[in-house]
Amino acid sequence: MAAFTYAPAIVLLPFVSFLVALFFGDRMPKGGALAGISATGLSLLISVWVALDVAGFVGSATGYNEFIYTWVAGVGSVALRFGVLLDPLSALMLLIVTLISFLVHIFSLGYMNDEGETGLPRYYAGLGLFTASMLGFVVANNLLMAFMFFELVGLCSYLLIGFWFREDGPPSAAKKAFLVTRFGDYFFLIGVVGIIATFGTGLFAPIREGGEVVAHGFPGLAEEAIVDGATEHIAMLDTVGMDPQAWFTVLGLLVLGGVIGKSAQFPLHTWLPDAMEGPTPVSALIHAATMVAAGVYLVARMYGFYAISPTALAVIALVGGFTALFAATMAVVKQELKQVLAYSTISQYGYMMLALGSGGYVAAVFHLTTHAVFKALLFLGAGSVIIAMHHNENMWDMGGLKDRMPVTYWTFLSGSLALAGIVPFAGFWSKDEVLYEALIHGLGSKGGLGPAYLIAYTFGLLAVFMTGFYTFRMVYLTFHGQPRTDIARDPVSVGWNVKGPLSVLGVLAATIGFINMAPVAKLTGAHIDFLHKWLLGQEDGGWSAELHTGLHHYEKLLKEVAGVGVGEPLGTIGTLLASAALSLVLAVAGLLLARSLYGGSEPVEHTDKLGGAKTVLMHNYYQDEYQVWLATGLTYPLARAMDKFDQGVVDGVVNGVSSVSLFGGRRIRRIQSGVVSNYATLLTLGLVLLLVAFGVVGGWF
Amino acid sequence: MAVPAQYYLLLSAAIFCIGLFGVLTRRNALIFLMSVELMLNAANINFVAFSLQHGNLTGQVFALFGMAIAAAEVAVGIGIILVLYRNFSDVDVTKATTMRW
Repeated sequence: MAAFTYAPAIVLLPFVSFLVALFFGDRMPKGGALAGISATGLSLLISVWVALDVAGFVGSATGYNEFIYTWVAGVGSVALRFGVLLDPLSALMLLIVTLISFLVHIFSLGYMNDEGETGLPRYYAGLGLFTASMLGFVVANNLLMAFMFFELVGLCSYLLIGFWFREDGPPSAAKKAFLVTRFGDYFFLIGVVGIIATFGTGLFAPIREGGEVVAHGFPGLAEEAIVDGATEHIAMLDTVGMDPQAWFTVLGLLVLGGVIGKSAQFPLHTWLPDAMEGPTPVSALIHAATMVAAGVYLVARMYGFYAISPTALAVIALVGGFTALFAATMAVVKQELKQVLAYSTISQYGYMMLALGSGGYVAAVFHLTTHAVFKALLFLGAGSVIIAMHHNENMWDMGGLKDRMPVTYWTFLSGSLALAGIVPFAGFWSKDEVLYEALIHGLGSKGGLGPAYLIAYTFGLLAVFMTGFYTFRMVYLTFHGQPRTDIARDPVSVGWNVKGPLSVLGVLAATIGFINMAPVAKLTGAHIDFLHKWLLGQEDGGWSAELHTGLHHYEKLLKEVAGVGVGEPLGTIGTLLASAALSLVLAVAGLLLARSLYGGSEPVEHTDKLGGAKTVLMHNYYQDEYQVWLATGLTYPLARAMDKFDQGVVDGVVNGVSSVSLFGGRRIRRIQSGVVSNYATLLTLGLVLLLVAFGVVGGWF
Repeated sequence: MAVPAQYYLLLSAAIFCIGLFGVLTRRNALIFLMSVELMLNAANINFVAFSLQHGNLTGQVFALFGMAIAAAEVAVGIGIILVLYRNFSDVDVTKATTMRW
C-alpha cells in the first residue's frame, strides 16, 4: 500500500520543477535543467516502486483506485473529483513517461544549453509542466480529470512547439497544433459530458472499500446495461431514444474524436509534421511519451467501454490501419530528417489504433511501449545529427556521418531496425503482434467486423513495406555514402549528455521487445510473454478482479459482446509463423529496396520516378489545402452568414425595440412645457380621470 | 342643534373648487400660493367636520398638521417666488419656462 500513497508525488515533482524553473531558473546553473532532471529522476524511482507494488513484489495490494480531492461536491447529483488509478497499465505508462522525460531532460543539456539557446528557464518550465500533465493524465481515475490533463498536455505542446517564437514557423506551427487537437477535443468534451450525464460517473474503474463497491465505473455500468439489460438506472437512454449499444457507441466515438486529434490519426494528423518546428528534444517527448501517446492511452484506459461496441472497434481499427499506410506513403518522399520521423510517428500510432480496434489490447500497449523507446531514440539521434549539422535538417546535405559520429550511428541504427520491424529488435515483436491480432480476429470475427479488420490489416501490412523503405532511405541518406556538404565532412562533435541518453535508449530499443516475445512463447511453450501476463490479471482476486481492467475481462467482453472471434486457418503455430514471416519479409524487402536505391556512395533522388504521385505526396495529399479550404471556403462564409443573421435579425429586434421607445420618448417629452399651470391642469385632469376610472370599475354609478 | 355635516362638506368643496380654479387660471405666483392655501384649508374643514361627526379627535389633530404643513409650504413658496422674481424680474409663472425639455 505504501507506494500507492506516494503516487501523487510522481505527478507533483515535475510540477514543482516547473515552478522552480519558471521562477528561479534564471538564477540557477543550467537554466533550471537540474531541477527538471532531479524531479523526473525521482518520479522515475517512485514509478519503479509503484510498478514493483503492482507486480506484487512489494506490499500487499496490487491495484489502487481512490479519490484524493473533491473539486465540486454535488448535492444529490454528480460530484467532480480527482483521484488516482493505479493498475499495470498506468504503472507501465508511468515508467515510460518518466524514463523518456528523464532522458530528454539530460539530452536537452546538450541540445539547448550547449548550443547557447536563450530562454532556457521557459524551456525547462515547459518540459516540467508537460511531463506533469502527462503523468496526471496517466494516473487519472476518471474521465473529467483525464480531460483536464489532456488539455494541459495540449497547452504545453503549444508552448514548447512555439518555443522559438521570434521566428516565423514555430508560432504558426504551435497555433496549428493547438487548433487541430482542440477540434478533436471538442468532441471529447461532449463525450465526457455525455458519459457523465448517462452514467452519473466518469470513473474508469470501480472504487471499493473493504471489498464492497462504493462507486461504480462507467465501463462496468455500460457492460451491465448491455450484458444483463440493467438499463433502468440510465435515464439518458429514454432521453435520446436509442438502445444502449447504439448510444454507448455514439459516446465512444465522441471520445474518440479527442483521441484522433491527439494521436494524430487521419484526418486530424496534419498538426504533427508541423510540430517539428519545436526543439528536437520536445519532438522526442511529444512523439514518444507525452501528447501523442495520450490518445492511444485513453482508448486503452477505457477499453472496457470500447470492447462492448463492435462499431466503435471497427472504426478504430479502420482509422488506425488507414493512417498507418497513409502516413507511411508520405514519409517516403520527405527530405528533412525530422519530417520522415514525424510521418513515421503518425504511421506507428496508426498501428496502435489498429491493434486496439481489432482486439489486440496487449499488442497495442506493447507497441506503445516499444515505440516510445525507439521513437525517442530516433528523435534524440536526429537531434544529435542536427547539432552536428549546424541545424540543417535536409538529408541530401548529409551522408557519410557513420564514421564521424559512431555512437549516434549505431544507436540510430538500432532504433531504425526497431522501427522497420526487423527481428530481433523491439519493433518487430510489437508490430508483428499487432498484425497477428488483426489477422486472426479479422478471420474469426462475426458480421461486418471481420472484413473491416481484414481491410485494416491489409493497410497495416502494406505500411510495413513502406516503413522498412523510408526508414532505411533515411539511414542511408544520413549516415552512409560520401559526405555531400562541407558540414557533413566535418560535423560538430556531441557531448556525453547526448551520447548517454542515446546509449540507454539504443540498448533498450534492441532489447525491450523481449518483454513480450509472444510468438516464441507459443512455439516453445516457455512462459516468457511477460507483458501479456502483466496485463492479464487473475480471473479471481488481485487488481483485475477489483478494477475490471484486466485482459481476462476485456477478452471476455470482446468475445461475448462485440463478437470478436479468432480464426486460424493454418492452425495456431502455422498462422503465427505465416503472419510473422509475411511482415518480416515485407520489412526486409523495403529495407533492401532502400539499400539498392540509396545505398551507394553517391545516392541520387529517385522520387521523380513516382511521376504525378510525387507531387501529391510532397503536398501531403493536399490535406492542409483542403483543411484550409474548409476553414476559409466553408466555415468562414457560414460564420459570416451567421453573423449577418445575428446582426440583422437578433440585434435588429433589440435595436427596433429601443428605437421605438426612443422615438416615443422624443415625442412625449413635449408635455414637459415648463409652464406650471399646464402641470397643474394635467395633474387635475389625471386625478379626475383616475376617479372616473375607479368609479366605472368600482360600480359607483 | 348642530349644523349637519353636508353643509360643511359643501363649504369645503366650494372653497376647494375656488382654490383649484385659481391654480388653473391665475398667472401670478402669489395668487397661486394663496389658491393652494385655500385648497389645503378646504381639506382642513373636511377633517374637522368629520371629526365632529364621528366624535373622534384624530381629525382635529390632522387639521393641526395640515396647518403646520400649510405654514411650511408658504415659507418655502415665498422663498421660491423671491428667487423667481430675482431671476425673471416677474412673478408670472408662465414666463419661467426654462425647466423644460
